[in-house]
Amino acid sequence: MAEVAPPKAFLEYSGPVKGVKYPLQVLYCGDCGVPVEYCENYPNYEKCKAWLEKNMPSEFEKLKVDKGEGEEGSAESSKDLAEGEEKKKRQTRGGKAMMKTKKKVEPQGIKMWTQTRGKKKKVTIVVGLASYEIDLKDASKFFAGRFSCGSSVSGDDEIVIQGDVKDDLFDILPEKWKIIDEDDIDDCGEKK
Amino acid sequence: MFKKFDDKENVGNVNIAKSSVLKGIRSQILDQFHHVESYLDQILPKKEPLKIVKCVLYFPSHEHIELLCSQSGEILFFRQRDGPLFPTLKLLHKYPFILPHMQVDKGAIRFVLSGANIMCPGLTSPGARMTNVDKDQIVAIMAEGKQHALAIGQTKMSTEEIVTKNKGVGVDNIHFLNDGLWLMKTVK
Repeated sequence: MAEVAPPKAFLEYSGPVKGVKYPLQVLYCGDCGVPVEYCENYPNYEKCKAWLEKNMPSEFEKLKVDKGEGEEGSAESSKDLAEGEEKKKRQTRGGKAMMKTKKKVEPQGIKMWTQTRGKKKKVTIVVGLASYEIDLKDASKFFAGRFSCGSSVSGDDEIVIQGDVKDDLFDILPEKWKIIDEDDIDDCGEKK
Repeated sequence: MFKKFDDKENVGNVNIAKSSVLKGIRSQILDQFHHVESYLDQILPKKEPLKIVKCVLYFPSHEHIELLCSQSGEILFFRQRDGPLFPTLKLLHKYPFILPHMQVDKGAIRFVLSGANIMCPGLTSPGARMTNVDKDQIVAIMAEGKQHALAIGQTKMSTEEIVTKNKGVGVDNIHFLNDGLWLMKTVK
């Protein structure tokens, strides 16, 4: 890329395009979160493609068509191919060439314990809500309101609710957050 | 700038801007960006409170950043103390005209996406195009064959200098796709 390109016209800094309604809606990939056209620059392109095929079949078709056209120019495609291979090599070397997209935590089920405080009082410990992408602070507030008791976030993924509310949680959790299934909730008995 | 940015570590407290501050920000936006007059009320409604989130960055240098968020928690702009306002990429995708565009060639895309600054050759090669701007102008980094911006940068040289020197960093990469700020969820 050493050769200097012949001077070309600068891009015009123009305002909004006429006839286009702003704000524009940009389609973001559900897997890596970037505009769909940039997915190919990320390590999990296959996953992104799968997502696109599932959720936006029309966009997926478009992508295929674009690819097809590109391959007709044979010289260019082979160059692209070589570039792709090189890219792979770079990736396996494990440098920080590409920032990895944040791993999504798979829902791991919810676990509950009770713990004795003092002689005759109990608290309920709920672990695992964060893996369902539930905001712990919101959840704790919700429990406090629902059971009219104290509730606090006490760790990375842990809520302590005052009182023994295990039985109620089995009904309330799936009701409040639809992604939770009753079978995911696990009663682990007493802690310590 | 936001390569190592985490909403657990770096984010401080959230305030709601006073109306006088909001007024100042609105006029700053008008000053700084062109073509926004008719959209300002859409981007930053007059009546709605604006949240200001204070953040501290430890990497690459100790810096204090303010994020300006809408009522719904969407991050709209950020700035360094009283420095210029930068729009976030999410906002820029919605209103691409607020910044002048700089287009880099295909080969540069993956480097930019991992946070590299934009080097001059990536802006002068055949696949690239530039808008004629001065030094220290905030620009949107577009890419050859792509529709949307992939980064927001600040020019380190004027366009003419980039063409004549053709060496070194042309545009500082401030905010890019999938960096810490991009991954940050909405602010409560």
